Amino acid sequence: MKQIIQLDVNDEVHEIAVQPYDSLLRALRETLGLNASKRGCDSGGCGCCTVLLDGKAVYSCMTMAMQVKDRKVTTVEGLGKVAGLDPIQQAFIDADAVQCGYCTCGIMMAAKQLLAENPNPDEDAIRKGISGNLCRCTGYQKIIEAIQLASER
Amino acid sequence: MTQLNVVGKSVVRPDAYDKVTGGKHYPVNYSLPGMLHGKLLRSPYPHAKIVAIDTSEAEKLPGVKAVITHADVPQNVFTPVYFVPAHAKSMVQDFVVMSDRVRWAGQPVAAVAATSADVAEAALQLIDVEYEELQPVFDPEEAMKEGAPQLHDNAPNNIAKAPSFSFGDLEAGFAEADHIFEGVYQTQRVHTCYMEPRVCVVDSETDGRITVHSSMQHGFGLREKMAVALGIPESKVNVVKPTYIGGGFGGKLDVGHIEPVAALLSLETGRPVRIEHTRGEDFIATTRNPIKVYLKTGVKNDGAYTARYIKSILDAGAHATHGAEVIMVHGLYGTFFPWKCPNQTWEGFSVYTNNIIGGGYRGYGAPQGCFAVESQNDEICEKLGLDPIEFRSGNTHKEGDPHPVLQGHTLNSYRLDDCLKKGAERIGFDRRAPANSSEGAKKRGIGFACHPLWVSGCLGFPDIYEHSGATVKLNRDGTADVVSSCIDLGSGQITMLTQVVAEELGLASEAVRVVYADTDTAPFDAPTHASRATYSAGLATKAAAVETRNRLFKAASAVMEANPGDLYLEDGKVLVKGAPDSGVPITEITARAESAFVQMTEEGPRLTTIEEKGTIIGSASQAPPSNPSPVAAQFVEVEVDTDTGEVKVLHVVHAADAGRVFHPKAAEGQVEGGFQQGMGYALMEHLQFDQDTGACLSSDFLDYKIPTSMEMPPKIESIFVESNEPTGPYGAKSMSELCLIIPAAAIANAVYNAIGVRVTELPITPERVLRALGKL
Ligand code: FES
Ligand code: FES
Repeated sequence: MKQIIQLDVNDEVHEIAVQPYDSLLRALRETLGLNASKRGCDSGGCGCCTVLLDGKAVYSCMTMAMQVKDRKVTTVEGLGKVAGLDPIQQAFIDADAVQCGYCTCGIMMAAKQLLAENPNPDEDAIRKGISGNLCRCTGYQKIIEAIQLASER
Repeated sequence: MTQLNVVGKSVVRPDAYDKVTGGKHYPVNYSLPGMLHGKLLRSPYPHAKIVAIDTSEAEKLPGVKAVITHADVPQNVFTPVYFVPAHAKSMVQDFVVMSDRVRWAGQPVAAVAATSADVAEAALQLIDVEYEELQPVFDPEEAMKEGAPQLHDNAPNNIAKAPSFSFGDLEAGFAEADHIFEGVYQTQRVHTCYMEPRVCVVDSETDGRITVHSSMQHGFGLREKMAVALGIPESKVNVVKPTYIGGGFGGKLDVGHIEPVAALLSLETGRPVRIEHTRGEDFIATTRNPIKVYLKTGVKNDGAYTARYIKSILDAGAHATHGAEVIMVHGLYGTFFPWKCPNQTWEGFSVYTNNIIGGGYRGYGAPQGCFAVESQNDEICEKLGLDPIEFRSGNTHKEGDPHPVLQGHTLNSYRLDDCLKKGAERIGFDRRAPANSSEGAKKRGIGFACHPLWVSGCLGFPDIYEHSGATVKLNRDGTADVVSSCIDLGSGQITMLTQVVAEELGLASEAVRVVYADTDTAPFDAPTHASRATYSAGLATKAAAVETRNRLFKAASAVMEANPGDLYLEDGKVLVKGAPDSGVPITEITARAESAFVQMTEEGPRLTTIEEKGTIIGSASQAPPSNPSPVAAQFVEVEVDTDTGEVKVLHVVHAADAGRVFHPKAAEGQVEGGFQQGMGYALMEHLQFDQDTGACLSSDFLDYKIPTSMEMPPKIESIFVESNEPTGPYGAKSMSELCLIIPAAAIANAVYNAIGVRVTELPITPERVLRALGKL
């Protein structure tokens, strides 16, 4: 049976109906039409679906929508728009860290948490910070450069 | 080289803005009103006959709108590979979309369309299939034996294809040799691991036309295969080009099951149908074919080859599909022609088994070949005490040599020696110690490999499409639109196309947009594969832009009362040669071209000329003139823990001759990403199957590990030895696939240098290392 919950996404509260087994990813993509969080595996293995939950990076495919009803969800739609990009978005562009881009939104969210907790991470900390996110295009080198760049700005 | 303004610069990728703000144009995001969701029921058995299917219970489930089985699917037999015609003679036709004969565990046997994915999934459980199990065979060499279970009637001993090449006198060559080396090199089945799943939305019209949105690498190939699969004319299928896709790497280069099945479900229901693979379904969609290479080489004391015999056995899986071509490319470009050996024979076997189907994957048969040949080359140098760099240099081609495969073509640009030299210098190859000479449990090693012949597309390959086309239109606001069917997989095709057009029209790259295209309206393009986009689509788009410029000059000549031949472009203006103050903005020419003959001005009516009228547009459709070979060498430093068997890559230097580099950062990105895939291939990736049931044991990234940021080496350095490929756009040729062809061989050679024993089977897992060391 579906239940009505209130979901706070990017500081906007939505009232939506979800099944008890619906993941947060599904609620975001299929109910709210927020497509920045991507499904790469649906099983906690790729990180394409990473969002912030009260500032902590989580796999939205492994988080039940019902569980987060009183918490704050941040997705890439809550970062900057083209007219005023978040430094992490600008850094990904400048470092040419975006190839197919399917991993990008998830990795940027992981990087947001990392930079919030550690504004000047060294390379090792960056590698650890994004180790839960897979990218198949870039070999991570330019992604790491992008996060370094964002931290310097 | 001529002075260039845009090509050669790391301009911002136009698609990057969209991707960092959410990436709304991925096919996975596409949906239509009233859309149904499809799911496939898959066989649990690797080899069986379907005796009966009962779908009645599934059909009764509320929300289910259609159920189909093989009985509803046209039994048209074809090759599902995009880049060849569906009935190409050089390929094998053995594929139908759904059949009553099951040849691999996971083969779709029925499909459901329902109002939600959950309902469709639930309906699958209600379909009752009665199977008669048949004896399976999983090992290709077993499958070739007399008495093995036969998969396809017209393939005795399960041999789908057995090509061979030979020249010289093999026996005499071996007789002449001072030393003979023999080895067997085995590679495994791996998946491309594109991050965006295979997904499609197919809609149908009342007149039977269908429109396809899909995450595939080739619109026109998909159109043709859909038409053949469904038995309808090609003109009834329109494939919309995706703005971009979430990776492909060759893994989206054949029509699988979802598009034709979605089309049938849509035709039956009259509603759009969407099907998305789960990650587990993607893992069993297509894979790199495992190849076992038997390699025997004769050499003189000085390292010159005298003879080589190669036998390659490729596990095609249940259907030949790409396996019929991968074996050829592996033979021609992976093992045989890259190296200069006077007496050679290669025999290839593409063999059916009850494993999952193989497929395209970046490098297409060459990583398997490079691993075998370059491992053995390393053994030869080690045993005979030869300088490994001189050895490579001595046994490969030189700039200006005739192209070894393409008759009448020349290796115009070919800087392998420079790649070897510069790569060696950068990594400090002269500090390499003899094998197994470092102290302690953790041993360091340096190794390298090269690949001396590859492609920039498929010109010269039998039956493979190679032409490209584009239309370029100048707008009144001074921007240009490009229509091209070349799909951006993430490697930067959109950027490349904008760079070409900006260069030819004297615009900034931001002023050029790659716009909507579909197979109804855009010119044909071969797929984004075979490292061909920059060379082939780049050349065609350049030709289209030149047409556009000619048209612009024609209009401008009327406006400026000058000879078109005397005009040139600079900073968005048309100028007359020798008169730098003569500039008229392009926007003025295009505005006048698109406006009425008589224009009202403050001063009254102004007459313009008929000659300047008409949209400033140009198009081209052409095959490229050649197929130049890029070359590269890769040097790797590793550390092997002899207690745990773990191999860590510490440093990588990739030196490549890609001709003129279009976009230095994107080129580095290809090297870095290619190395990630190559390192996964070398050390950890292996798609495994249950030995009895043939079921895939990996359904997600928890079971199938690919390198994360933690395993990747701290430094991957790219060196571009720039040459000028005279047939290429601005001197460019290809580069991307070599970045993945070489790493496994380079890493294997570095591991040997570290521990002094060679692992000849991929992946080089801790277990295999310990076994090689005699510790297990
Ligand atoms: S989709 Fe959530 S981790 Fe892969
Ligand atoms: S950019 Fe393609 S997966 Fe990361």
